[in-house]
Amino acid sequence: MTALRDIWLIAGFEIRRAIRSWRALALLVLYGVASGGATLLFTRFVGMLENTLADELNVAPTETPGTMLAQLVTSELWHRTVRHLVGSDHLADVLVTAPPLAVFGLWFGFLVVPFFAASASAECVAIDVSTRAIRYEAQRTGRLELVLGRFVGQLGLNAVATLAASAVVWVVAMTCMYGVQPVDLAVWLLAFAPRAWTFGLPFTALGTAASQLTASSAWARVLALGGTAGSWVVFGLVTSARREPWTTVADVVGPVLPQSWLQGLWEPGFGWLVSAAACAGLAAVALSVGYVRFSARDL
Amino acid sequence: MTTAALTFYGVVKRFGRRMALDGLSFRVPKGTSCGFVGHNGAGKTTAFSVVCGFLRADKGMFDVLGHGPYDPHRHKGLVGALPQDAELPDRHTPRELLRHLGRLQGASSARARAESDALLDAVLLTERRDTPIYTLSHGMKRRVAIATALVGRPPLVMLDEPLSGLDPVQAHAVRELLTKLRGEQTVVVSSHDLADLERISDWVVMLKDGKCLREGTVGEVTDQSRIVQWDLGPGEVPLARLAERLTDHAFTVDGDRLVQTAPDGALDRSSVVVMEELARAGIALRRVRRGVGLEKRFVDDVLGGG
Repeated sequence: MTALRDIWLIAGFEIRRAIRSWRALALLVLYGVASGGATLLFTRFVGMLENTLADELNVAPTETPGTMLAQLVTSELWHRTVRHLVGSDHLADVLVTAPPLAVFGLWFGFLVVPFFAASASAECVAIDVSTRAIRYEAQRTGRLELVLGRFVGQLGLNAVATLAASAVVWVVAMTCMYGVQPVDLAVWLLAFAPRAWTFGLPFTALGTAASQLTASSAWARVLALGGTAGSWVVFGLVTSARREPWTTVADVVGPVLPQSWLQGLWEPGFGWLVSAAACAGLAAVALSVGYVRFSARDL
Repeated sequence: MTTAALTFYGVVKRFGRRMALDGLSFRVPKGTSCGFVGHNGAGKTTAFSVVCGFLRADKGMFDVLGHGPYDPHRHKGLVGALPQDAELPDRHTPRELLRHLGRLQGASSARARAESDALLDAVLLTERRDTPIYTLSHGMKRRVAIATALVGRPPLVMLDEPLSGLDPVQAHAVRELLTKLRGEQTVVVSSHDLADLERISDWVVMLKDGKCLREGTVGEVTDQSRIVQWDLGPGEVPLARLAERLTDHAFTVDGDRLVQTAPDGALDRSSVVVMEELARAGIALRRVRRGVGLEKRFVDDVLGGG
């Protein structure tokens, strides 16, 4: 119980620290602006799709995106678009019923959250090791509680960022798109937000692990962002492997990449929780790797 | 039930090829206010860091409050520390930081709040308690750091250079605070200001090159039972008369100071004789001090090769 209490206390303290640091604030703002900008572009894209559909149906093109939303979401054109976004016919069948901006919001979240999570968490331990500020807490609680507390704090920050991004998507949708059901979109965005947050778990752990490996927050950030970018590159190679021995290598490497569980996070109902568990497992592994070093180091 | 708050047995700590602690052994009795003395690089901060679990000893044994080597779980709420050169988490206010650390010490929210406010009062920071730490001056930050070591009223308080960077008023407030802790908590204080240390300590551990040079009460270390220093006014010191009347004593004159060395237990009796002879010679007495003083003892030991 004491350990859980300490983790909780440190997590709360970490969130307050992170929110007051200009780097985390800048990242939050950047995430929000990027979400807003991307959503705005997507509404334009929806407008283009609607006009293509209008051509097919021989009706007049629209000026405001969303005017033909009801027709668009039931069209083959939209089904194809969703299939491209999620990479599966079966998922596209399910997701066409969701508001387009909710689907896009989650897709964009999957793209951005890893970088946000890895970058923000990369300084959560290292910066205090370099200034020795970590000693104030390290003297009062175990190192495991300390690391887990900071990790949970970063997860809290991710939750704030994910919800803020969802709010931005909702605001942009309400102002730039016609025919959006405000409550419906809000419910879908809120339902999807935990999935984006979950995908951030292994990357938060990667950042926290990097932060335990070095006392330099700059190096920790390089390691975390390099690792995140590298994981996308490796994922790209894994998914494009067609010949032996690369297919065997891909079978081995694939499951340890969070991106391999990404499609599962689109699953409807509780189906996505299997992939969420896999992401949590990967996070535990990444944290443990960092902790092996941190537990033995002089502070 | 152990009577030692802190015991080191042959503790070794190396940083690369440099031996920071070279088989360090000493003890600090419970309830004492212990001065930790040593030149730069003597191993004071390393020993502090080992006690608090920041550094891991390479060899040797140490015991903190009878619960074995420091473990944050076993020693929860029992040790408070002011680490040297550790920056404060500066995005928080002093009040938030102290409450947080108090709660990590095991205190309830209400107790942590009350203690934090009381400690910030004691270190003269009431007015700045709700401003972010990064806006505070060096001296203010130092006082916040001292308060962090005391929050939760831990039985053992380790303070590494608590008075450095404080102005005279602030230093006085901190000294008062530390003096109040005497007897209630064991306080280990390291400082280069040996006059300060002598004032607030009743136990001393002297380090040199990672080893313990001396340990004991301030009286023992400074020879207070054997030596008296008499600061005198002008006049011819009656050395011959003193030697004649106190044959088992040694007297030396250094400028306007007469240094008397007596056999153990003889000082009270012989001091009266010295005063009589000085009065007879018409020499004014400006100050009398028992023992050689911590600073002189330390300098003599270090320069004399220990």
